[in-house]
Amino acid sequence: MMNEAQRRLIDDLQARYIRAIDDDRIEDWPGLFTEQCLYRIITRENLDAGMLLPLMECRGQGMLADRITGLRKINVYEPHRYTHQQSGLVVESFDGTTAVCRSSYLVVRTMGNGAMSIFSTGVYLDKIELSATGAKFIERIVVQDSRTVGTLLVIPL
Amino acid sequence: MGENVSQLKWPDEGVTRAPYRVLADPEIYAEEQRKIFRGPTWHYLCLDAELPEAGSYRTTYIGETPVIVTRDKDGAIHGLVNRCSHKGALVCVDAGGKKNQLTCLYHAWSFNLQGDLVGVPFHKGVNGQGGMPETFEYANHGLEKLRVESYCGLVFGTFSHHVEPLEQYIGPAMTAHMRRVFHKPVEVIGYYHQTLDNNWKLYMENSRDPYHATILHAFYATFKLNRLTMDGGITIEHDGWNTMNFSIGASLKEGGEYEKAGLRNVVEDVGLAGPELLHRTQEFEDGITVAIQSIFPTCVNQQIYNTLAIRQLTPQGPNKCELHWTVFGYKDDTPELRQMRLMQANLIGPAGYVSIDDGVIGEYVQRGVGGTGVDASAVMEMGGSAVESARGSRATEATLRGFWTGYRALMGL
Repeated sequence: MMNEAQRRLIDDLQARYIRAIDDDRIEDWPGLFTEQCLYRIITRENLDAGMLLPLMECRGQGMLADRITGLRKINVYEPHRYTHQQSGLVVESFDGTTAVCRSSYLVVRTMGNGAMSIFSTGVYLDKIELSATGAKFIERIVVQDSRTVGTLLVIPL
Repeated sequence: MGENVSQLKWPDEGVTRAPYRVLADPEIYAEEQRKIFRGPTWHYLCLDAELPEAGSYRTTYIGETPVIVTRDKDGAIHGLVNRCSHKGALVCVDAGGKKNQLTCLYHAWSFNLQGDLVGVPFHKGVNGQGGMPETFEYANHGLEKLRVESYCGLVFGTFSHHVEPLEQYIGPAMTAHMRRVFHKPVEVIGYYHQTLDNNWKLYMENSRDPYHATILHAFYATFKLNRLTMDGGITIEHDGWNTMNFSIGASLKEGGEYEKAGLRNVVEDVGLAGPELLHRTQEFEDGITVAIQSIFPTCVNQQIYNTLAIRQLTPQGPNKCELHWTVFGYKDDTPELRQMRLMQANLIGPAGYVSIDDGVIGEYVQRGVGGTGVDASAVMEMGGSAVESARGSRATEATLRGFWTGYRALMGL
């Protein structure tokens, strides 16, 4: 059974994830994951068909860092920001060190020219490592409800 | 050539120009639906592999027209307009699946896998009253049927009774490349869909354009995945309607041309912290590492290292289109090769290190050319004015001129 302090670590990790992205402090984002982590964005269409083709997939800290290099230095896109809303966080299981969590997310994207849209909704499927020093994502699978992406996806969801 | 209903006169320079008005004018867009999408052209519908058994179906679009592709009990493939012959509702509302017959949800008119009308509920009325008249002939009320042909497991359809057979339309140089990619059974490994706020033709130009590929896509140049200083070329077929750009990664020879050009595309002091992303294998004996083949009007057959995909574009108005990627591997892929393809998928699709940039660039053009009153044209003189194949240099826009050659021929512009 998870105690209140452990649950607070999970809530804090979830909040810091959103802050890293929505406050344009993406450099803080890899630090929320373990060394050998898995970060994957996949559409419901592919997942339900048993196909693991990702929109974005990072295995390990190096690939998380590369996505930051891509969006800071390499890729061309119109500047934009996200605002996340997250709800319905449930801890589905906890074995003393690893918590399996599930929650819903909604991302509103605001473009440089002021255009706003609901860019993505879906669920976060998380495996979170809890230790004395805090909580980190071992795995975050982002399952997007829509099969379609508007224009492009460069900032992690 | 000459004038048409939209009163557009093509510039005297020919296909080295493309008037911006064709990117935004609703009248021209409506005319394209008739003259191009319902005209003498073949349109990619799906892969044969996506219709594995009798009753398998997929839904797609030709232009804005919704289409169903079915496989019947004899194994034959049919293309049908996805519009009930009764009141016009979609007959199939999902992406695909398996059905013995196609039944409209509205009044349950049903059609067999060939598209023939086989059932009208209460057609004899109820308690001897109502019902369809004696004169109503089922045979006259099937789903509208397309002409369908396959080549190498790619299923195409057309509304035209006059267009040449598919293999001839694609042309020998292009079919050779299709045989190269589709030389053994393929298996779909996933899909991407991406809406773009730009005219469909901007994306079709972009996919044909070897000039932009290594300039806009800094990921290519920075990690030396594709540079114009590699051996490669362009192939032109069917007067340029169908084209291919390709490069051979191992042939890179350069004296710092990119670095000297001072382009933003070679990003200094950047390495990959997770280089496993680019683990790859040479699958094809010809050494070609990037090949982008475009079949007029809206089909692209893509190889970027070990990522293989068919891209199909569906227009959704003058300023909007949707790009559909069907990503595939081979049935006999080893688990290692399959994993390589899934990891390299980070290069492609709406979030791909290479293709992210294409998402926005068409929108920037669309916003730049906004307003049908604009009396100006794009300039495409790189490599001269000819529309012909070239080996060695890819500093050319011959492939774009080829696209506009096909466009003008069909539109009568």
